[in-house]
Amino acid sequence: MSGIKEAELPGLGKKYQVELESGESVVVVIYDEGHRELFYFPADKSEPACSFTMTDQEARQIGSIIGGAFYQPRMLEKLEMAIAELRIEWLKVAPDAQVAGKSIGDLGLRKNLGITVIAIIEEDKKGKKKTTAINPGPSFVFTPGQIVVVAGKTGSIEQFQVMATGKGE
Amino acid sequence: MLVNLGIIFVLASLAILAAKKIKYCSIPLLILLGIFLGPNAPQFSWMDLSLIKNSESVELFSRLGVLFLLFYLGLEFSIGQVVQNSKLIVKGGSIFTGLNFFRGLALGWVFFHSWPCALIVAGITTVSSSAIITKLLVETKRTANPETELILGIMVYEDIFMAFFLSILSGYLLSQGSSLLVSVTGGLAALSFIMVVFFLGRRLGIVLDRLLNKPSVEALVVVTFTLLLLSAVLAETLRVSEAVGALLLGLILAETAQVKKLVQMFTPFRDLFGAVFFLSFGMQIDYHHFLTVLDITAWAVILTVAGNLLAGWLSALACGYRGAAAANIACSIVARGEFAIIVAGLAASAGMSGAFQPFAALYVLILALLSPLLMKRSKSLYNFFIRLRKLSRKTKNILTGA
Repeated sequence: MSGIKEAELPGLGKKYQVELESGESVVVVIYDEGHRELFYFPADKSEPACSFTMTDQEARQIGSIIGGAFYQPRMLEKLEMAIAELRIEWLKVAPDAQVAGKSIGDLGLRKNLGITVIAIIEEDKKGKKKTTAINPGPSFVFTPGQIVVVAGKTGSIEQFQVMATGKGE
Repeated sequence: MLVNLGIIFVLASLAILAAKKIKYCSIPLLILLGIFLGPNAPQFSWMDLSLIKNSESVELFSRLGVLFLLFYLGLEFSIGQVVQNSKLIVKGGSIFTGLNFFRGLALGWVFFHSWPCALIVAGITTVSSSAIITKLLVETKRTANPETELILGIMVYEDIFMAFFLSILSGYLLSQGSSLLVSVTGGLAALSFIMVVFFLGRRLGIVLDRLLNKPSVEALVVVTFTLLLLSAVLAETLRVSEAVGALLLGLILAETAQVKKLVQMFTPFRDLFGAVFFLSFGMQIDYHHFLTVLDITAWAVILTVAGNLLAGWLSALACGYRGAAAANIACSIVARGEFAIIVAGLAASAGMSGAFQPFAALYVLILALLSPLLMKRSKSLYNFFIRLRKLSRKTKNILTGA
């Protein structure tokens, strides 16, 4: 991956251009109104070959699918996004986990571990409909089955992983 | 009174819904409705089309509309954006806006033989409508194209240009009396007033930040609206247009920490009162006058299209765009809209010749029809141009060869 080009589109939003290894490029435009448009440019072309528009929610869902929140390819047993020291992890709360039944504030995640809970995704019993709590407050209670998105340093993420899934590295 | 206002908003809603249906900017539709259903509407023996009247409340709403439009222009103007793309914006924007402005001045001088009129014509014809053009860019799926950055950059430049131009013009027009010297000093006084406010504004911004620190939505809306009215009054007493006062307040508040919230809060106000402004602008126009301004409008349209193609192409070349991308830039920045109307409105309120309003309306309407066509056909235009060039080269070869 040869890098991401970022450009301001005054009055419209922001543009991110990602050059793929194949020479093709993908452009994501995030509009100020919230929706996203995705463009595909074949190699050496300055006009997009195709494009489509997503609502904010759809874009987040598709983003997390691409990020591997739902299914991780076997090649990468553990999903890891390492930006310098920062790690972002998607963890499923196990039925017998330490954190189950406790709130973010009770556990003092930020104070004790330096961990930030970015979002919590909940499935209903049929495993279909999803609700997402973005940046949940300290009173939010963990329950088994939730997918927790956390950010922090590698060491503290590993500690939290033990608490949430009962499994270590 | 409420009945009239009610009908006006029904019409405005219809225009905006229709515009949404055809994915187009609502401004031309609003003006059209104002012309053909306003006090100057055509009257037939069997029915009277004039549904709406110009009342005091309508006038107030439309004045607020101008204030909000310019306040928003100032608010949206972020120095960060300009600095980030500064090279592109300054280079492309100066060439494009400069050429267009002098073309407008020349046209105005040829038709009116007076500097104030030439300035107004230049004001009406120079600055494009970012509302229409961004909508067209989204519709033609060009937002991700590399040349779109330059197109949007040029529009940012035009906004800055308009801020300075409006303040100079309003000072010039309002103090316009006997001699050229007085009016020029008027213009310069307005400009220096703005510079002073702009530099004091940064200080003022800090004070305002403290005043508005963590306010409730209620406090923020009411305090900001009060400031808007006060700055309009202050500008009027200093013999600068109230529109410029609103613009300056926007520029000052753009530097505070609350700017994002303010933009969110005041977009609905701008849309609501702006709609009345464009409708009432149409209402002041008697369509019979279209005939008298037909020649200048035709020339203005032809020169604007030709001038923009040339200026757009030159600034594209200067910024390193070639081929179809340059053609897209040249064909994109043609639509005129809100600023043309605001300048014409300013001219009318300064008591200038009544020809400017029908001229601006007809001009905006024609370009509103032309610009989408031009933009969608930019590729075939480019291909035509290439073929023409090949042909001319061939004939040249034949001629010199023989």
